[in-house]
Amino acid sequence: MKRPRIRGTVGGALLAALAAIVAVLVAPAGAQETTTEDGGKAVLKIGWGQDPQTLNPFVGLDEENYTVWALNWDLLVNFDPEDLQPAPGIAESWEVSDDQQTVTFTLADRKWSDGTPITSRDVKYSLDVLGGEGTLFAGYTSNVESVTTPDDKTVVVKTKQPEARIVGGLFIYILPEHIWGKVPVSELTSSYQPEIPMVGSGPFIVTEFERNRILRMERNPEWSGEEPNFDEVQFIKYGNEDATERALQLGEVDIVAEVQPSTFERLGNEENIETVRGASPSYTELAFNLCSAEDCPDAEFNPAVQDKTVRQAIANVIARERINEISALGTSFVANGILPSFYKTFYETPELDYNPTDVEEAKRLLDEAGWQDNGDQPRTKGDQTLSFELQVRSESQSDIQASRLIAEMVKEIGVEFKVQVVSVDALTEATVRFVDGKPAPDFDTFVWGWGGDPYDPSFLLSLFTTEEIGNSSDSFYSNPEYDRLFREQAAAFDDEERKQIIGQMVDLTQEDLPYVVLTEDPNLQAYRTDRLSNVEQQCPADEGGDIFCEQISYEPMLTLALADGSSSDDDGGGGSGVLIAIGVLVVGAIVYFVIRSRRRGGGGPIELEE
Amino acid sequence: MSGRWLAGKAAAAVVTLVFVIVFNFFLFRVMGDPTTQFTRIPNITPTELADLRSDYGLDKPLLTGQFVDYIGDTASFDLGTSQRSRRAVWTEIKDALPWTLLLVGVGTLLATLIGSWLGVIAATRRGRNSDNGLLGFSLFTYAAPEYWIGIILILVFAFWIPILPAGLQMTPGVEFSSWVSEVTDVAEHLILPATAMTLMLLGQYFLIMRSSMVDVLTEDFITVKRATGLPWDRVVSRHAVPNALLPLVTLSAIQFGAVVGGAITIETIFSWPGLGELTFQAINDKDFPVLQGVFLVFSAGVIFANLLADCLYFYLDPRVKAD
Repeated sequence: MKRPRIRGTVGGALLAALAAIVAVLVAPAGAQETTTEDGGKAVLKIGWGQDPQTLNPFVGLDEENYTVWALNWDLLVNFDPEDLQPAPGIAESWEVSDDQQTVTFTLADRKWSDGTPITSRDVKYSLDVLGGEGTLFAGYTSNVESVTTPDDKTVVVKTKQPEARIVGGLFIYILPEHIWGKVPVSELTSSYQPEIPMVGSGPFIVTEFERNRILRMERNPEWSGEEPNFDEVQFIKYGNEDATERALQLGEVDIVAEVQPSTFERLGNEENIETVRGASPSYTELAFNLCSAEDCPDAEFNPAVQDKTVRQAIANVIARERINEISALGTSFVANGILPSFYKTFYETPELDYNPTDVEEAKRLLDEAGWQDNGDQPRTKGDQTLSFELQVRSESQSDIQASRLIAEMVKEIGVEFKVQVVSVDALTEATVRFVDGKPAPDFDTFVWGWGGDPYDPSFLLSLFTTEEIGNSSDSFYSNPEYDRLFREQAAAFDDEERKQIIGQMVDLTQEDLPYVVLTEDPNLQAYRTDRLSNVEQQCPADEGGDIFCEQISYEPMLTLALADGSSSDDDGGGGSGVLIAIGVLVVGAIVYFVIRSRRRGGGGPIELEE
Repeated sequence: MSGRWLAGKAAAAVVTLVFVIVFNFFLFRVMGDPTTQFTRIPNITPTELADLRSDYGLDKPLLTGQFVDYIGDTASFDLGTSQRSRRAVWTEIKDALPWTLLLVGVGTLLATLIGSWLGVIAATRRGRNSDNGLLGFSLFTYAAPEYWIGIILILVFAFWIPILPAGLQMTPGVEFSSWVSEVTDVAEHLILPATAMTLMLLGQYFLIMRSSMVDVLTEDFITVKRATGLPWDRVVSRHAVPNALLPLVTLSAIQFGAVVGGAITIETIFSWPGLGELTFQAINDKDFPVLQGVFLVFSAGVIFANLLADCLYFYLDPRVKAD
């Protein structure tokens, strides 16, 4: 008995497998043209590194969430893309009572995308439930006493203290109560996934969400505002920034919403690509540990850091322009104090801005305060030494770079900064540590950043209030005058008045220096000039916001349009040619080897039994 | 006898799996508290953070609370819910797994076929130019990091000669008219990552096959076969190759771990939405349940592959039975 021929089995199976592959590769090549998108549809394609993990606003935590939510839903009061001032949203008008503790909103006559009218019940539901339970939204309603709805078109919000943010920064999306209200809160705050299409009030609503792939938003059929130029907005996920930027270069996407500082300049030099650098409400700072012995009995730090003169001397030698040029590759903006210039309505360059640097002044300050110059060694006074630990997050290359630059700069005046690169957990732990129920920060200085709300600066300003010690404050700065001014500005509905007060607050912190704010972090974006027209930087304009008011307003999305001559369906079928070529090669190779082996082996040798 | 041998192997596999399950839990807890990354979200209050921690089950004691829950859930095949997407970890894995299997499957298949075929060619031409050339090529692809290979492929075939897509698994946002066009589209997108995967794995298969063939070809029975007048091609294909295949079986199993590691990198470079991508994002987010789930799947895969190799060996190599 002969055993089965090996070539007959293994070889045959291999051939069959290859043939199957070839069949898959070659057969459908002719059908390629049909895979292009439906003709005539104007589609805006935005590439992003990560997509939102869930669209549920009660538990969503990703930055990308806001991008989608801001197109899908309105706020009670929206932001004007021009200057971020309050603009009609769900409410078309509002009135502030004389004691400024009651705001009465009148709703516009608008409908949800499923045709249901938008009423005060939706507003109350959203402020109460989303504002009460949503992880990202709960902070906004802490001062709200009650939300009442006298009729379908009226909402009355009463606050414990007067608060301007109720009009200019109540960052809570208004959800359709007839959909979300049916779901128990316990489910909303756990595993609930929104129904698609996601009923909304904005110009586009989510009609498809395939996580890790694509998020598609189509026109809201009930949208009554200005007609958008695009029928559809697609957000395409690439998993990382490099791949997203490649997709822009290849023309697969029209906009990249977040460009890396390291590639910003190179991308701008590419043909048909324009880069945009806009202001944002976030900054990077050098922070000092100012916690008093009373507030933090167990804090651990070099007490010399609490000498105001030392901090002022340090501020006098930190060249922020250089830090921007080197660590942020020139993509950031030089910061002047604790309020980013992004807050146009309230910003003014502080008088005391430590710019340009003044080494002589710094040395004079330290000499006068009795800090003895020890040449190459750090200055000393009694048993105190001007040698500090500077902690910085390992994940931010630019922060590490900035820290090293700072260490180099302060050396000149006899101050030593020992840069310690630590994990974000370690740095968090150093700032939020508690001992016996009291804050016990364990650091001298660190470099880190904050981001604020659009328009309303209260959050960023709150970081220096005494109330935030043991909470968000990480400089542990405490100044009763500052606290008083903070309450005053929060209650100031008049912009000019509020700007004055904020100016005084900035001046206080420029003098006391809980932070030396280094740079204002930018929004870096890029888009295809051969695909898009009507591109304007907005939110805010002039100062240079971003291309489509990401996360803030849907208005710019209405004016963006396709560039002349750019087709709406440009899907290349280039790959099918390659598939055919590969198929032909594979088939050719198989035929060649089969023939060759037949010819060689066909001589009929003597078969031996084994 | 043989039954006991197999049972022993299976028991070892189960013990390994249990160890992995226990180890997985502690491995990711080392990464720290996932809620620390939210402390800088504007307006997030300490109460909210505490809620989040209790949502994630992080407020329970590590051993008597979290670990017990974890073991209980895993034992009942419940991998938990992703902390970030709030979807079942099983759903996340089920969405990603087919893409990884496709990429890894095609890559491994091609690497095995091409690698061993080239190995046979090289061994039969030992010392000649073609052998040296193939050896150099394989050592090069073996040594080159997979991300580098991936980037070079993208550079050449997506930028310089723009004939292939640089990433993703299919053209996004397209309504396909038929399954045929959908398959073509996926095939197009598969070419570059699968090539990278193949190149990454090819070298080892080649080297093992070559050295194994060189060994076999010097054995006496080959000389005897040749002496009987059997054509050289026939000697190689019918007698040498089957005997040289054994080490390849082991390699395929052992390689599985490397394949998984490579898949994470290659999927990330090519934006391929498989388990590698899922892992990458879960690490960024410190999403413990997802990480535990993915690692469990990976480890179970490796353990199973090894067990399979043992079983195959049992049937392929009579010497194992004799032991």
